[in-house]
Amino acid sequence: MDGILSEKHRIVRRSVRSFCDREIRPIAGEIDREARFPWEVVEKMGKLGYFGIQAPRELGGADLDSVSYAIIVEEISRASGSLGLCVTVHNSVALYPILAFGSEAQQEKWAKPLAGGEKIGAFCLTEPNAGSDASGIEATAVSDGDAYVVNANKVFVTNGGVADICLLFLKTNPSGDRREISVVVAERGTPGFVVGDLEDLCGMRANPVSSIRLYDCRLPLDNLLGREGMGLKIGLAALDTGRMGIAAQALGIAQAALEEGILYARQRRQFRVPISKHQAIRMMIADMGTLVEASRLMTYRAAALKDSGKRFSQESAMAKLFASEACCKVTDMAVQIHGGYGYSKSYPVERYYRDARVTRIYEGSSEVHRMVIARGVLGKK
Amino acid sequence: MGFHIVVCIKSVILAAPEEQVVRTEDTSELNPFDRPVLEAALRLKELHGGRVTAISMGPEASLSALSEARAMGVDREILISDPAFAGSDTLATSTVLGAGLQKLVPFDLVLFGVRTADSDTGQVGPQTSVQLGIPFISMVSGIEWQKDVFRVERVADHFLEEYEVTSPVAFTIHPGAFEPRDLGLSGIGRAFESERVERWNLSDLGLVPERVGDAGSPTRVISMMRVKETKKCEFLKGDAREQADELMKRLSESGAIGA
Repeated sequence: MDGILSEKHRIVRRSVRSFCDREIRPIAGEIDREARFPWEVVEKMGKLGYFGIQAPRELGGADLDSVSYAIIVEEISRASGSLGLCVTVHNSVALYPILAFGSEAQQEKWAKPLAGGEKIGAFCLTEPNAGSDASGIEATAVSDGDAYVVNANKVFVTNGGVADICLLFLKTNPSGDRREISVVVAERGTPGFVVGDLEDLCGMRANPVSSIRLYDCRLPLDNLLGREGMGLKIGLAALDTGRMGIAAQALGIAQAALEEGILYARQRRQFRVPISKHQAIRMMIADMGTLVEASRLMTYRAAALKDSGKRFSQESAMAKLFASEACCKVTDMAVQIHGGYGYSKSYPVERYYRDARVTRIYEGSSEVHRMVIARGVLGKK
Repeated sequence: MGFHIVVCIKSVILAAPEEQVVRTEDTSELNPFDRPVLEAALRLKELHGGRVTAISMGPEASLSALSEARAMGVDREILISDPAFAGSDTLATSTVLGAGLQKLVPFDLVLFGVRTADSDTGQVGPQTSVQLGIPFISMVSGIEWQKDVFRVERVADHFLEEYEVTSPVAFTIHPGAFEPRDLGLSGIGRAFESERVERWNLSDLGLVPERVGDAGSPTRVISMMRVKETKKCEFLKGDAREQADELMKRLSESGAIGA
């Protein structure tokens, strides 16, 4: 780890942790219970650069490396999984594709307010009938004069309830090749752009996950990102970075669960000693510590590979798969250590347990990740 | 040249496992009592313009403290480092910092943390001011700059003291008086973009080895050990009134409550 982390990374961690401990941790339970998006904190995070972590400075970003990005998402998620989710989705699958594939005018128009945290971004791929099989989407964009006429029903949109700038995956040639998918940017407020009800989810409740629907919505042809038919390429590039973010998020939640587990095991006394003296608890703590450390190494390594300009898709997929499954195990053990109290809302571990579960599902399920990883490990033969 | 503030900061040891003091970047961090000091300096700069210089004496591991100062918004950082400084006590440290500050003249204000989190003497600020022969006020909780005069507030023994003092002057800053800002991510990125920290050694300061390090230190730390805290529980006897009387007697005898 010492080879990967520099002095800069330590200062990034210290300053983000200090902010999160003071501003986010104290309200994390409350915003989860009330399913409330904490604008008051999000505004402060925007001013500190949390919404433009890797964007260039000319566009108001912080221009940090991917290892810093992973540390920041880890630290925010350690305080609140919901806010970690907001930040990672905004940065990696909304802002990043605009930076990587957008024209100069598009960067000025959308990347700038996104990087400064003045606007929140979203990534709209999933539909009721298309998830793991992204090429099966049914949303359409038909060009008509200077605009696309868009009809779409996008579901489970992270940040959906608050997003101003949404990347929509659509079929630009609905009658032709089923793979001709493109990305068109839609701004909230455009006539025909409708934000659906917020989802009532098991975890990540402070994130306003919603459906977004477009009914004959006219979006200028200039809102096309890259070229027509580039949708899957843009999506895959975004998800490589996004997966690293989800790995970092799972790592942060697991770290929080480990810390709570240790704290409780030292305080709780049964059979006249703290339960941390009982072998059964010690075995769990050992496994939790090991899983967290392994997740951290895999996540930072994927990030370091990206920083050095090397291929990192396989490592990022492995990190996401491992860290999300580790997070579920670690939060489960944290609940177990707490016994009945762990199942109660009096302690934060039940929130971690709920938040952890979705990390194995979104931005590619564990099963899709295993498919992708197997392809990489076995080669094409 | 404009308004010039110099802040003296230290990189402190976070942990000394097995009682061994090893200074590495992993175990060091900017002294937490120095963060409010940097904040005070940066707020004055924001109000009156000018520049802030941070200096730190210590080994290479102290660079992290200077980088953090830069990320907060300091304009210039200087690491004062030389193998000859090893083993300096507070007097030798003040000699070195004083010599460094002489090279930074002209300045209007020198600021120190009230103490450090690792050695906790609180002596370096006042001693350095004596070395420089400039006025010094401790535990300052408010600073106003009015045409060559600082108006300063200090709370001591439940009294608010106000001072007017001309520059150049040195203060230590009350740790609770200036809530340090959160570091913006772009500030951190910028701070590490280029190697900007200047380095001064013994000969740059025009000092002789006899006045610094072990040789220049009249105090010796003979040993260091962890203090074990013990708690003892005692039940008072008698009826409620007798117990209350006995409790009052003990509390007032121990000085826990006023007589």
